Amino acid sequence: MGLFDKLSNFLGLKKKEVKVLVVGLNNSGKSTIINHLKSDDEKSTEIVPTIGLSVEKFKNQKVYFTALDMSGQGRYRDLWEHYYKECEGIIFVIDSSDRLRLAVAKEELDMLIQHPDVAGRFVPLLFFANKMDLRDALSSVKVAAALGLEKLQDKPWHICSSNAVTGEGLQEGVHWFTQQVCESMR
Amino acid sequence: MAFKRDKKEEEDGGGNIFQNLEKTSVLQEARTFNDTPVNPRKCTHILTKILYLLNQGEQLGSTEATEVFFAVTKLFQSKDVVLRRMVYLGIKELSSLAEDVIIVTSSLTKDMTGREDLYRAAAIRALCSITDVTMLQSIERYMKQAIVDRNSAVSSAALVSSLHLTKVAGEVVKRWVNEAQEAANSDSIMVQYHALGVLYHIRKSDRLAVTKLVAKFKSGRMSLKSPFAICLVIRIVSKLLEEAGGEWAESPLFDFVESCLRHKSETVIYEAAHAIVNMKNTTQRELAPAVSVLQLFCTSPKPTLRFAAVRTLNKVAMSHPAALMACNCDLESLITDSNRSIATLAITTLLKTGAESSVDRLMKQISSFVCEISDEFKIVVVQAIRALCLKFPRKHSVLMNFLSTMLRDEGGLEYKASIADTVITIIEENPDAKETGLAHLCEFIEDCEHTSLAVRILHLLGKEGPKTKQPSRYIRFIYNRVILEKAVVRGAAVAAMAQFGAACPDLLPNILVLLARCQMDSDDEVRDRATYYHTILQCRDTLIANHYIIDTLQVSLPILEKALYQYLQNPSPIPFDLKSIPPPSAVADDHVAASNKIAAEGSISSTAPKLSKPQREENYYATKLNNIPEIANLNGPLFCSSEPVQLTESETEYVVRCIKHCFPHHLVLQFECLNTLNDQLLENVWVQLEPSEGYEVVHSIPCPRLQYGESASTYIILRFPDQLSATIGNFGATLKFVVKDCDQTTGLPDTEEGYDDEYMLEDVEVSLSDQIQKVSKANFGAAWEEAAGYCEMEDMYSLASMSSLEEAVANVTAFLGMQPAERSDKVPQGKSAHTLFLSGFFRGGQQVLVRAKLALADAVTMQLTVRSTDQRVAELITSTVG
Repeated sequence: MGLFDKLSNFLGLKKKEVKVLVVGLNNSGKSTIINHLKSDDEKSTEIVPTIGLSVEKFKNQKVYFTALDMSGQGRYRDLWEHYYKECEGIIFVIDSSDRLRLAVAKEELDMLIQHPDVAGRFVPLLFFANKMDLRDALSSVKVAAALGLEKLQDKPWHICSSNAVTGEGLQEGVHWFTQQVCESMR
Repeated sequence: MAFKRDKKEEEDGGGNIFQNLEKTSVLQEARTFNDTPVNPRKCTHILTKILYLLNQGEQLGSTEATEVFFAVTKLFQSKDVVLRRMVYLGIKELSSLAEDVIIVTSSLTKDMTGREDLYRAAAIRALCSITDVTMLQSIERYMKQAIVDRNSAVSSAALVSSLHLTKVAGEVVKRWVNEAQEAANSDSIMVQYHALGVLYHIRKSDRLAVTKLVAKFKSGRMSLKSPFAICLVIRIVSKLLEEAGGEWAESPLFDFVESCLRHKSETVIYEAAHAIVNMKNTTQRELAPAVSVLQLFCTSPKPTLRFAAVRTLNKVAMSHPAALMACNCDLESLITDSNRSIATLAITTLLKTGAESSVDRLMKQISSFVCEISDEFKIVVVQAIRALCLKFPRKHSVLMNFLSTMLRDEGGLEYKASIADTVITIIEENPDAKETGLAHLCEFIEDCEHTSLAVRILHLLGKEGPKTKQPSRYIRFIYNRVILEKAVVRGAAVAAMAQFGAACPDLLPNILVLLARCQMDSDDEVRDRATYYHTILQCRDTLIANHYIIDTLQVSLPILEKALYQYLQNPSPIPFDLKSIPPPSAVADDHVAASNKIAAEGSISSTAPKLSKPQREENYYATKLNNIPEIANLNGPLFCSSEPVQLTESETEYVVRCIKHCFPHHLVLQFECLNTLNDQLLENVWVQLEPSEGYEVVHSIPCPRLQYGESASTYIILRFPDQLSATIGNFGATLKFVVKDCDQTTGLPDTEEGYDDEYMLEDVEVSLSDQIQKVSKANFGAAWEEAAGYCEMEDMYSLASMSSLEEAVANVTAFLGMQPAERSDKVPQGKSAHTLFLSGFFRGGQQVLVRAKLALADAVTMQLTVRSTDQRVAELITSTVG
């Protein structure tokens, strides 16, 4: 690292870049959330099911995020693990109206946490209990209970209910996430 | 670090900095891709290394490739343009090696629909390389949009990618036809060309649609700006015209091609001229404009145009010599062209078309620089000389001398083979040139490094040498081979010497001495041959010598091999019967036809691969029939198979061809049926036959299922009548089947129940030639004498319908299906009488020899003498001729 880099780092001027992984079951709203977080001129008008992954960028409080928006379809979920190693934060999106598949989401989460590339590391986890506007949606507390988040102790985590279409609840979650990430980088 | 090493390598003087790359170290470096933030310069360099390795043929294992591939996917986060484009290339190269490549589908679709034009075309190409049939559905919409995109690079990329996708998912691509149509109207010439390619590819199996497509472009409803697109249309049109056969002369399609001769682009003009000149059955009037265009090109200042024109003229020189006369003057001026390739082609073209008087001059011209041109062009020269020899037999001495000088020069096998071929053809066609030709060949084998050629020439010497005036002079050349060459050549030399011994009685004592010496050879094969020939020749019995040396075993070798193998597998007390093996299908006939064809086309120099074809075909049927138990159980192997005969018109609902397989006592009729109706499924297809008297239907094997576009066979096994004269007849035939209507797209039947239907076929004709196998006899006279003891039949015929001897010879040969011996099928010009010798085997292995003395008065009169081992066969032949 050059002298200039050191200096700018010390002064906090350096552009902070963070790589995050966005995972969750299919149709939970991952791409919609990322699309909402992007700046206005980069937003796309329609969201189609992701195949494989899509690399997106957005900015929050002077921190530049590179989001790897992964496909949630069953047959592509085993591709997630290729990207665990380098990520500095994970956003896990849950469709809170889909009670039936909450168990599936829990299983995927457990596998993620136990993966050797994630287990021993300090990785902030942000949960979005998405689609809160739907009538039979569960509250964030119930979702947290269903996923067994209380047992998760070695990593900072936060859950908030959200509505990706209107953007409700997203800012709160991302705000927390940015702070955690900045802390871990210091 | 990497930089330092590169620098050092540069100092070493190696121009290629990638020369000493190690796969493992590069893969190690590829881990840099995972770093955040991405260093574009470094990553681009590493990607280049990976691509270099892959292009050098380095193999990556599936795990290695997958690991690199996933590392590459992480580079999508960089916005560096150069790096991104390298990433696309990397994805394309790795797509076939790595697993789970669909991971980048969304990333690529995003780039392909994004705002950055630099990414879009490359993203499409990469996307199509990672997509398989199942995934294609999800990107179909984007592809359709991309095809009609305003950006020509994007549109072109999408079109070319679709063309590649037709290989894996033709059905899906067919749905994009409207978009491709729209793209064909594009202003960009590149897009237009690619769109036309896709359109043609989608429709190429449907002739009507192709015609419509062409008509649309032709009529100007779709304007073609791209010269390449027009060239493509010309190619499509000439293919259509070729398929249409002869009746196109007045066709609007042809007019279109002709109108292209007046196009402003040189490429199009050349393509049109090339197409017209290469069409079959063109008349002088149609050719003239094309040839005059080529003539114009000959004087063009651009070497490429001159080369193209002269090359095309050279190719068609043989088929349209008259049309080319007009160009002679321009070709003359090209002889001294500074470009050697153009000069060579000009000279050879002139040799093909020119007059006899100019031959000497041209030969002198070409010999001045023949050593400077490449082998490929030397072969062109040799072929021109071959054509010339056939045309002007009197010039053989000049040409022969030239060829022998060429033989002495350095050159590859193909080149030498083509010269030897030419010399051999000249020897065979022109008796005057025989002695000089053989002398040149003798000289050539003195110093020949190509074993296969030496063996061929020795064989030829053995055959032709004894018939010359002074056979003894060749013995020295042949025996020299025994002393100097390797085993294969020695063996051939021994066999050639034996031929002399058998054919020239006055040389026999000397030959015996030489053969006795060969018995001491170090090689088994050579020793065996020498001993074999020595023993036979020592008997001094011309009959035995004739039988075992000049006309050796007359059996089809592949079938003999198979039969012997089977005999050894199931040993039986009955000794192996050589008679049960059918004789080889006469190859000499095909050989001549093939070599004539070669002379005309001027492309192939070695005839060896051609020769094996008929035998392979025979073998092919034998294996196929053996898979059918009813046929395999017939006693005796397959004797011969006829050429397929059409029993229907070619454009009807059902196309049926009949192949007649002749067994010793049975006749198997194979009906090859093709269903051309896409809304019908045929089941239980069989042929109802009304055999002529004496025939007995033993078995009929129906074909259970015949789908649209498929061809399948049904068989009928018949027993030949005991009375041989009853074997010739006409059988009425009707195709019977159950029809099930079915869905056009899926081919699945709509209903379970079908209905019976039938279809009239033309009569199946069983003739004499179906039962006779051609056999070539090298020494017919001896065989004829030998057959004096067989039964003989003789009769006189008047062949009123024939007006010339050539016609009579061709007809008699075709009717009997026998092989003309000793070139007696060639009638010398200006003679009024000719004798034709034919030989063959009747089914069951009865030898048949025929001598036909023909005389021409007002009509042709023929005295036919048949000698056969079987009285009944001879009777049959004399009774059916006429």
